[in-house]
Amino acid sequence: MPPFRDDQILIISPGSQTTLAQLGLPESFTPARYRLRSRMFAAEKRGEYEAVKIRRKEKSKESKPETDGEGTDGVEQSEQKQEDDENEWEEDRVSEEGAIWPMQSGRIADWPCFYALMEHVYNTVNPPFHTPVLLIAQPVWTLKDHERVTQFFFEKFKVPAFGLMDSAMATSYAYGLSNATVVDVGYQKADITCISEFMLQNVGRGLAVPDCGGEAMTQRLVQLLSGRKGFSRDVCEQLKKSPVCEILPPDVEMPGDEPASAGGADNPAAAASTGADGAVPGQRKGSGLDLPRGPGPNTEVGEEKKLEDDEGVLDIASIVTGGNMSEYLAQKEREKQEKAVAKQQQKKGSDAQQQAAARPPRLPNHKRTRNTFIYEDFALHDAMKKAGVTSQGMTEMQSALGDGPNKRQKTPEPQSAVSEKPADDAFDGVVDKGPSGGFRREIEVGTERFKAADGGILDRLADAIHRTIQACGDVNKRGDLWDSLIILGNGSRVRGFQEALLDTLNKKYIISPSSATIFTSELPSNLSTPMATGANTPQPQMPGQQQSHHGGVNPLLLAATTAQNPQLHPSGSVMGQSTHGQHMHSSHAQTPTSIKLAKIPEYFPEWKEVGYDEASFLGAQVAAKVLFIVDGGQSNGYMTRTGYNEQGPNGIHECML
Amino acid sequence: MALPPTQAPAAGEYAGDEISALVLDCGSCSTRAGFAGEDTPKSVVPTNHASLSSGERLFGENAIHLPRADVEIRNPYNADGLVEDWDTASKLWEYTVTSRLTGARQTPPTRNGLNDDKDENGDVNMEQEAERREDEQDSPLAEYPLLMTEQPWNPVKAREKTMELAMEEWGVPAFFLAKNGQLAAYSQGKATALVVDVGHQNTSVTALWEGMVLKKSLHHAPLAGNWLNNQIRAMFATQQPPVPLVPHYMVKTKQPVDANSPSNATYVQFAKPPPDSFRRLEEERVLTAFKESVVQAWHGPGRLEAPPAPHAPNGFSNLDHVRSLPPRPFEMPDGWNTVFGADRFKVVESLFDTRAAYPSSDQPTPKPEDAIPSLVNRAVSACDVDTRPHLLNNIILTGAGSLIEKLPDRLQTDVQAMFPNPKVRVLANSNAVERKFGAWVGGSVLASLGTFHQMWVSRQEYEEFGAGVVEKRCK
Repeated sequence: MPPFRDDQILIISPGSQTTLAQLGLPESFTPARYRLRSRMFAAEKRGEYEAVKIRRKEKSKESKPETDGEGTDGVEQSEQKQEDDENEWEEDRVSEEGAIWPMQSGRIADWPCFYALMEHVYNTVNPPFHTPVLLIAQPVWTLKDHERVTQFFFEKFKVPAFGLMDSAMATSYAYGLSNATVVDVGYQKADITCISEFMLQNVGRGLAVPDCGGEAMTQRLVQLLSGRKGFSRDVCEQLKKSPVCEILPPDVEMPGDEPASAGGADNPAAAASTGADGAVPGQRKGSGLDLPRGPGPNTEVGEEKKLEDDEGVLDIASIVTGGNMSEYLAQKEREKQEKAVAKQQQKKGSDAQQQAAARPPRLPNHKRTRNTFIYEDFALHDAMKKAGVTSQGMTEMQSALGDGPNKRQKTPEPQSAVSEKPADDAFDGVVDKGPSGGFRREIEVGTERFKAADGGILDRLADAIHRTIQACGDVNKRGDLWDSLIILGNGSRVRGFQEALLDTLNKKYIISPSSATIFTSELPSNLSTPMATGANTPQPQMPGQQQSHHGGVNPLLLAATTAQNPQLHPSGSVMGQSTHGQHMHSSHAQTPTSIKLAKIPEYFPEWKEVGYDEASFLGAQVAAKVLFIVDGGQSNGYMTRTGYNEQGPNGIHECML
Repeated sequence: MALPPTQAPAAGEYAGDEISALVLDCGSCSTRAGFAGEDTPKSVVPTNHASLSSGERLFGENAIHLPRADVEIRNPYNADGLVEDWDTASKLWEYTVTSRLTGARQTPPTRNGLNDDKDENGDVNMEQEAERREDEQDSPLAEYPLLMTEQPWNPVKAREKTMELAMEEWGVPAFFLAKNGQLAAYSQGKATALVVDVGHQNTSVTALWEGMVLKKSLHHAPLAGNWLNNQIRAMFATQQPPVPLVPHYMVKTKQPVDANSPSNATYVQFAKPPPDSFRRLEEERVLTAFKESVVQAWHGPGRLEAPPAPHAPNGFSNLDHVRSLPPRPFEMPDGWNTVFGADRFKVVESLFDTRAAYPSSDQPTPKPEDAIPSLVNRAVSACDVDTRPHLLNNIILTGAGSLIEKLPDRLQTDVQAMFPNPKVRVLANSNAVERKFGAWVGGSVLASLGTFHQMWVSRQEYEEFGAGVVEKRCK
């Protein structure tokens, strides 16, 4: 009888940007039910934190327009009367301005805030009393950090049992591999870990390699687009996340090489109004719908110059702060009407032109010089809130901007839909999704969108991977490590990133069979390396103390991969994995002679749908099942309350995986 | 010796069961640190550091391998394997401990915010807190007793300085300094042994009798890992055609080419290339790969370049034998590749037979008495006759430099040839990690022993006797 039940295990996986959590293990493992932003807001009282931004309502100057706004204000007004000159507060679930991110590059930078975040996660999930917790640790956490976290969980939540597992180890549970190189591309950093024979290789581990995360790519986009006004960091961040941002394989030519070929030639009208010739970035970038504006572009442009400072992505936020909002809205309104007129004319006009206009969007992204993505403007949201604009005003602004899809709570663009869908489906409303609900606009961008990884991130990452594997103590294992590369993490989500990284590795490091040994390569020149023949049991790798210490991993992982999914590992194929690959294809003792991505077992439909970027969470579920249910603490895979009482936080080092 | 939780442990008595000690093993190539009782050091940091033109020093793997123009790669150790730049060394050691083990700031559990006794207003006393912050900044390692290692030939001054550093700057509650040869023996569970430690800068020999270091036996020579690197460089230069050594960071992409043909690679264009010291560091990475995959020691018997034995058929010499073995290929980062036959044996030979050394411009010709078997000979000869059979029967080979294929076999045959009478036994742990970190593992064993508690030099003693106490206590 296992000491815990399936549905009473809480898994928390904190990250610098996103913290994943889930209560209970479903029959078939699903992506994390809770995705929470890893940030808190400072509360009024020092040392206390709030999960949502609490904003002081400014009412002094704009109380008039507010009152004639909507009904809700009436309620607030009455509250106000009660509290006299007390400040009025409101929750702002959209804004992240002034947020404190307790984890920086995986490291816990602000402990009180981190504790607050954990508390928030715990309270959000709200597990029943007596729920054990499995926490996924960032690789960069120090031993001391492990102790502190352990102490916090035992003393704050009084958990009956607590497990701590390295995220790279968790990933290997998801893949069920005994040898793997885990490349976890995060926000500001990447972690590279070798796991050899179920043992995590601490020495030479690539920990929090700086400038190798998604942020590095955003910064690169900022740099590339710095010439174009309005492309702030936020815009670039969302551009990176949008599906139009792609890293092209080297054999695909960048479409920008022949400027404005398709669009320009076929449809002069479209070219004129979109600036597709790319030469003048100052021109207005319309959205896809109003391309063939036809008759009167001159007047429009003339008007726009007043406020929009001849940019498509203009800084509306500053207009709002400048107090020109109503003018701007009026102008937008005019524009819209003109557009509508233009469209009608368009409809009456030649069908041929319309077809021509419709053609370019059908091209795949990598063949188009320009493409559009949807941008949610949070800066504007913040500016408006600060200026005390009512929600009525916000709606007006939204519809004014609504060239593109203009519902506030709209389905997100495909890429992020992937990440948020499970949350939406599984729960209704409890989930604090990533920010959404800012103002949406379509923005057009040129070939810069293919250059996100140009800033040397791939080279840095490749070098770090090479270094990490070369540091693996067991020379004979390195070939296997190269053959089971796992690239995951939300930073690697950019389309084409994994392929590009693999390509970089291949081009730089692969050792080709030597022509000088082509005849001798058939000779067993690696006789000196032990031949793994007929090994039916995994050989104990480390003599002495290590057995007692880490040896526990082995049976656990075996149990994970065999007991639970017998169909996947027909009789002892796990063993097969550990034995194959001892032979090198030439007489090279050097590695890598081949580089391959590891394949993940695809038996969890929900995960398959979403993608395995967060496979470490899948591994955490597998591990939780093994540690708390199958193994039930026999291999000391977690720390019990009694263990904690006896050993104190120090004891976690013996249970940590 | 369980104390009731209300009672603090008596001063000078450190319960290893409750507070684990830190073990810091400093070498000229890498610095290892971890908590006592663990099986491998959790923090291994290269001793090389990046020194920016702004004067800032950066430590750790991530910092030193970035190619940039304004960086110099430096090492706080001198050629003799002793600390030269104390300021940097202390920062580096601190980094090694804090980066992976203790975290940058120390907060004892009583004050880490979990157990705060808030005053009436629920506020933390700000002044106290500020004061505490300052305290912590000053003594990053104040929480744990510290065991450090040293080279056996470490001069008194350096030992005292180390102690001072630990006590004054880090504020450790207790300290001990142990010789790394001694610790390597403990890692194998031996109290009587002859430890041969092949490191990066130096190979050292330490004789140990029932746990005590025999001072007369201490010998060291610069024929070690770094020497081997230079031998490989010299060998590359003498090859026909010379072997181009292009480190990874210069290569963008490479194409497979035939053996010995010029490489077909595209190179990274630097506006201002990184300085030579950086290039050298990156070249060492290639050389390490070469040592791991190609280099092999001639296993003996006899020297590699010995004339053919009189009874050998057709004058078949050791060298001829080696030549008949299949050569091993090696590919450079730029794709250039070739096979190495006898040369892959020859580069190691100078460790055993100094006459076989490749002449190298930046390395002095080695002295014959510095060869490893001669070192062993000198050490054993300096010891009492009665001890010799025991020592020779327990030769422990350790250090990352000893990981060259077949090197233990060669040492065995050479020493056996030198001392034909007693039984010679070379013990080399087959686990590469344990051999690399032999001294650290020994330190981990030692510091977690219950009986070691009385050995610690406590803060009180230091305050009473000064740094000189290290000479008395840490022998």
